[in-house]
Amino acid sequence: MSAADIASDVPSKARKRRFNTREVLAALVFVLPFVLVYAVLFIYPTIQMILLSFQKAPLIGAGTWVGFDNYAKLFKDKLFGVAFWNTVYFVALTAVPSTLLALAIAIGINRLKGWVQSLILACFFIPYILPVSVVFRVWGWMFDSQFGILQPLIALVAGGNVPVFRTLPLFMPTVAFITIWWTIGFNILLFIAGLRNISPEIYEAASIDGTSKWRQFARITWPLIWPVTVLVLTIQLIAQFKIFDQVYLFGNGGRSDATMGLVQLIYRSAFQKNNGGYGATVAVVLFLVIVVFSVLQFQLLRARGGDNK
Amino acid sequence: MADIRLVNVSKQFGSVRVIENVTMTIGSGEFMVFLGPSGCGKSTLLRMIAGLEEIDGGEIHIGDRRVDALPPSEREIAMVFQNYALYPHMSVRENMSFGLQNIRMPRDEIARRVAAAAKTLELEHLIDRKPGQLSGGQRQRVAIGRAIVRDPKAFLFDEPLSNLDAGLRVRTRIEFAQLHQRMKTTMIFVTHDQIEAMTLADRIVVMNNRKIEQIGTPMEIYNRPASRFVAAFVGSPSMNFLPVQQISDRDGKVLVRLPDNSEIQTNIVSSRVPDDGKVTFGIRPESVKVSATGAISGKADVVERLGERTLAYVRLADNSVLIAEDEGQSNLNVGDQVRLDIDGASAHLFDARDVAYSAA
Repeated sequence: MSAADIASDVPSKARKRRFNTREVLAALVFVLPFVLVYAVLFIYPTIQMILLSFQKAPLIGAGTWVGFDNYAKLFKDKLFGVAFWNTVYFVALTAVPSTLLALAIAIGINRLKGWVQSLILACFFIPYILPVSVVFRVWGWMFDSQFGILQPLIALVAGGNVPVFRTLPLFMPTVAFITIWWTIGFNILLFIAGLRNISPEIYEAASIDGTSKWRQFARITWPLIWPVTVLVLTIQLIAQFKIFDQVYLFGNGGRSDATMGLVQLIYRSAFQKNNGGYGATVAVVLFLVIVVFSVLQFQLLRARGGDNK
Repeated sequence: MADIRLVNVSKQFGSVRVIENVTMTIGSGEFMVFLGPSGCGKSTLLRMIAGLEEIDGGEIHIGDRRVDALPPSEREIAMVFQNYALYPHMSVRENMSFGLQNIRMPRDEIARRVAAAAKTLELEHLIDRKPGQLSGGQRQRVAIGRAIVRDPKAFLFDEPLSNLDAGLRVRTRIEFAQLHQRMKTTMIFVTHDQIEAMTLADRIVVMNNRKIEQIGTPMEIYNRPASRFVAAFVGSPSMNFLPVQQISDRDGKVLVRLPDNSEIQTNIVSSRVPDDGKVTFGIRPESVKVSATGAISGKADVVERLGERTLAYVRLADNSVLIAEDEGQSNLNVGDQVRLDIDGASAHLFDARDVAYSAA
C-alpha cells in the first residue's frame, strides 16, 4: 500500500465514524424533545406573530393582509411613544443601578464570615422569592398615602403626605426602586459566585504588591468579575424591558395611559381592544429592541472578555 | 538584603495553636529552607513573615526594622506562591509592573526593570502573553520575575516547585540555586521535599507539629539529626530503626546489642546516653552493606534496583526489617539469605523522648 492510499484511507474512515448511524439516532432521540418543544412553543408562535403584525386581525380568527400599515400606524401612535419611552426610562432606572448596587452589596457580603454572611445574604435574597402580588401589597401598604409607614418620612421631605403612585414623576422611580428591592437578591447571588471564584492568593499577591483598596477593586476584582457583570446586566435588561406586572398593579386605577409600558400596550391592544395585528406589531418591535440590546451586550462581553483569558 | 529575626513568635487559629514560640535568625543573604510535613506550620510561619497572617505573640524584624505590625507591602519582601497567584487578566509585562505602578515608580524605570527581569528569566518572547497562555514552568518564571523587579530585601517562596512535573522540578531547582548565587539576597523557601531542602539550603529549619525540631546546615541535619523525627524525615530511603536489647560501655563508647543478639560497636560517647532500656538504634541504609562476611543475617523481602545501587529490604530473625545497600550490578534476588555489615561508626541512638545521640 502506498502512502497516498493510506492518506486517502484516513478521511473515509473518519467520515464513516462521524456518521455512525447509531450515534446519530441516539443524538436525535436526545435532541428531538427539545427541538419539538422549541419549534411548537417558540419558533411557530414567533413566525405567527411576525405574520400577524402585517395583518389587520382580531385576537382570534383570520385577518386581512395590510402590509406595513400597522408599523406606519405605530410611529404615529402617541401611546406607543409614551409606552416606549416609559419602558426605556424604567430600564434605565433599574438595569444599571440594580447591577451596580448588587455588585456593591455582594462585595460587602463577601467580606463577612460564617453565619452573619448567610444571614445577611438571606435578608437580601428573601424578597426575590415573593410573588409580585405580595410585593404589591407590601409596598402599596408602606407607601399608602393615608396610613403608610413611609409617609412620615415622605412628609419630612415633602411637607405632607404624598400619594406616590398617583404622582406621575414619582411613579416610575418608585416602581423601579421596588423592582430593584424585589429582584436584587438573585444578582447578588451571581456576583458572590463570581467573587468566590477569584483565588484568595491573588489578593494576597496584590497586598504584597502594595495595592490600595480602590486599585484592587478597579484593576483586579472588577476585571475578573466582568463576565458576571455583563451576565447580570443582560438578564436585567431583558427582564426589565418586559416590565408589566408591577407597573400594571401599581398603576391600576390611576392614569394608566401615562404609566404604560410596551408589554402593557401589547396586552391592551390584543386582549382589551381585540386588535391582534397591532398588538403583534408592538411585540415585534419589543422583540427587536431586546435582540439588539442582547447582541450589544454580547459584543461588550466579547470585547472585554478577551482581556480576561 | 537584610537578616530576618523571629523572637518567640506564636500563632493560633481559634483554640488551635499553629506556631509555638518560634525563635530564629535568618542571616543576610542566606538561603533558608523551612522543611516539614503537611500541617507542621511551615507555610504559616512564612506567611507570618510576609504579613499575610497576623502573629499573636512575639516579634518579627527584617533588617533593623520591626515589621510584625506593618502591612505586607511595607515589609520590603517579595513572595512567590504555590499556585503562582498571577493576575489572570494581565499580560506577563503587566503582572511584573503592577506592583511597581502601585508605588508610582517612573514609567521608564519600570520598563527597564521588567526588561531586565524578562531577559534574566528568558521571558522576553512571552512578555505580552496572558498567564493562561503559558505552561506551568513559564508561569513559575513570571511569578519569580514579579518578585525580582521589586528588588526586595528578602524573597519568600511557598512550595514553588510543587506544581511542576518531576523533570521540570529538577531544572527549576537548579535555576533557584543559580538565582540565589546571582542575587545573593536573603531567601526563605518552604518545602516538604527533603531533596529540595538538601540541595538548595544554606541552612534548613526542620519543623514538625508546630515546632522547630532542628536548625542546621544540610549535612549537619543529615549527619547529626537532633531527633528521631528529623532522622526519619531527612534521607531517602528513610533511616532504619531497630529496638535495642541492651546497651553497654566499651572504651567509653556505646556497644549495642540488637534483638538477634548481634553486637554493634558505635562511636557514641556512653556517658551521654541514658541506659533506661528504651533506646532505639538508627542507621541509614547506605551504612548497611550486603556483605558475605557480615555479622547479621536475614532474608531479602524486596529488592529495588536503582541502577547505581541496589536496595534490599532484609527481614531479620526477630521479624524487623532493615534496608540495606548493595552495588548497582547486584545479583541479589528476592528470598535470598543475605548477610549484612553495619557500619557502627555512623549509627545513631534515640532515647525514650526521641532525642538523638550521634557520634561526635
